[in-house]
Amino acid sequence: MNDALLVTFVKALALCVVLLGAFAYMTVIERKLLGRMQHRYGPNRVGPFGLMQPIADAIKSIFKEDIVVSASDRFVYFLAPFISIVFALSAFGAIPAGPAGSLFGFNPWIVDLDIGLLYVFAATSIGVYGIFLAGWSSNSKYSLLGGLRSSAQMISYELGLGLSALTIILIAGTLNLREIVDFGVWSLSPLLWLPLAVSFVTYVISSVAEVNRTPFDLPEAEQEIVAGYLTEYSSIKWALFQMAEYVNMMTAAAFISTLFLGGWRGPEALNALVPGVAEWPFIWLLLKMAIFMFLFIWLRATLPRFRYDQLMRFGWIWLFEIALFSALVTGAIIAFAL
Amino acid sequence: MLSFILLATVMTVGALGVVTLRQPVHAALSLVGTLLTLAITYVTLQAHFLAAVQVIVYAGAITVLFLFVIMLLNAQGDERAHRLGWVKPAAYVTGVVVAVGLMFTIFASPTTLPDAATISAALQGGNAGVLGEVLFSQFVLAFQLVGVLLLTGIVGAVSLVERRAAQEDREQELPATTQRERELTRA
Repeated sequence: MNDALLVTFVKALALCVVLLGAFAYMTVIERKLLGRMQHRYGPNRVGPFGLMQPIADAIKSIFKEDIVVSASDRFVYFLAPFISIVFALSAFGAIPAGPAGSLFGFNPWIVDLDIGLLYVFAATSIGVYGIFLAGWSSNSKYSLLGGLRSSAQMISYELGLGLSALTIILIAGTLNLREIVDFGVWSLSPLLWLPLAVSFVTYVISSVAEVNRTPFDLPEAEQEIVAGYLTEYSSIKWALFQMAEYVNMMTAAAFISTLFLGGWRGPEALNALVPGVAEWPFIWLLLKMAIFMFLFIWLRATLPRFRYDQLMRFGWIWLFEIALFSALVTGAIIAFAL
Repeated sequence: MLSFILLATVMTVGALGVVTLRQPVHAALSLVGTLLTLAITYVTLQAHFLAAVQVIVYAGAITVLFLFVIMLLNAQGDERAHRLGWVKPAAYVTGVVVAVGLMFTIFASPTTLPDAATISAALQGGNAGVLGEVLFSQFVLAFQLVGVLLLTGIVGAVSLVERRAAQEDREQELPATTQRERELTRA
C-alpha cells in the first residue's frame, strides 16, 4: 500500500515537473510561431535560436519586485494564483498516456478513476476561482471586470463543453478515460460519425473559451481593461497565472485527444510497418497535443477578439444549441438504430 | 474514522464561517471550502461520482454564480439597512429544531449498513450507472417533479428580468447592443 502511494507521489511530482518544463518552452514556441505568422523573427537573442529565453524570463520574474496592492484583500490576493496553478496541475493526472504497465512497468497515469472524465471537469471548474478571486481581491475596477467576464464566460461555455462530452459518454457508456480510449468512439457505427464530428467541433471551440485564449480572451483584453484580472499582479504571482494558463491549454489539448481522437493510441495501419507502434506510450498523445497547441496559437495569430455580447450570444444561442442537438441525435441513434 | 473526524471538523468550521463572516465574498469562499470538504468525505466513502458532481455543480457552478452576484452588486459586509428584526430569533429556533430533529432520527432508529456485497455492487463504476438507474426507475416521479420545480424557477426569473428590461427600454432609448449587454450581465 505504501509502495503504491510512493509510486503515485513520484509520478505526480514528475508530471508537475514535465508540465512546468513544457510550459516554459511553450512560451518560446508560441512567441516564435506568432513571430513567423506576423512576418517577424520572434525571440532569437538568448542562447542558440533563443532557446534560453524561458530561463531568462524565469530569472526575471523571480527577481522582479513583488508589488502587493495595499488596498487589496491580502489573504485572497495571495490565495488566488495558487488556486489557479494547483487545480490546473491536478487536472492532468487522470489522463492516460499509454497502455497499462508501459512506464517502466508502472502505469502511465497518476490515477485511474471510474469517473475520470468528471474529475477533469471538476478540477478545471474550480480553477476559475483563481481568476475570479484575483479580479475581486485586487480592488481595481479593471481587475474586477476581468474577473466578472471570466466567470460569466466559463459558466456559459462549460455547458457546451459538457454537452459535447455527453456524446462520448453516450457512445462509450463509461466515464473512465482509460476505457473511453480502449472503446474507440469512432468504431461503433458510421451513423454516429456526423454527431461525433459536430460534437468535436463544438468541444474544441468551447475548450478555447474555457482556457481563455483568443478569440475568447476577454478576461485580459489589454485594449479595453489593461490586463484584466492580471493587472495588479507582478513578479512570481503573475508568472503563476501564466503557468496555469499554459498548463490548462495542455490539459485541454490532451483531454480533446483522449475523448475524440483515441488518446494515446496511434493509427492501427502503422502496425503493418512497425509492429506494435500504435501502442507505444506517450508519443501519440504528445503528437496529438502538439497539433492542438499549434491550433490554439494559430487561432491567436489569426482571429480578432469577440466583443462581450457576441461572445455571450455565440455561447448560448449557437454552441449550446448545436451541442445539445448533437447529443440528442446521438442518443436517438443509439436507442433506435443500433 | 480519524479522517472523518478531521474532515467533519473542517466542514463544521467552514459552515460556521459561512454564517459568521462579515465580508460576503469571504462567506462564499468559506462555503466553497465546506463543499469541497464534503466532496472529500464522499471520496473517502468511495462514492466518487457523487464527489465529482458535488464539485462540478455546487462548487463549480452555483457558488460561482453567488460570487458573481456579490461582486456585480459590490456588496459590503456592513449593510444593515435591510436587516429584519425577527429573522435572527427565527433562525435560531429553526436551527435548534432541525438539529434536535436530526439527532432524534439518528439516535432513535439507527439504521444498519447493508452487507458488503450490496455496497460494492452499488459503487460499481464509480456508481454513476447504478445511481442513474435508480433515479429513472424507483424515483422517477420525484426526479421529474424536481425538474418541473427548477423549470418554474427559471421561467419566473426570466419573466422578472424581462419586465424590468422592457420598462427601462421605454424610459431611455438605448442602442440595441448596449441593451443586450445589460440584459446579459443581469442574467
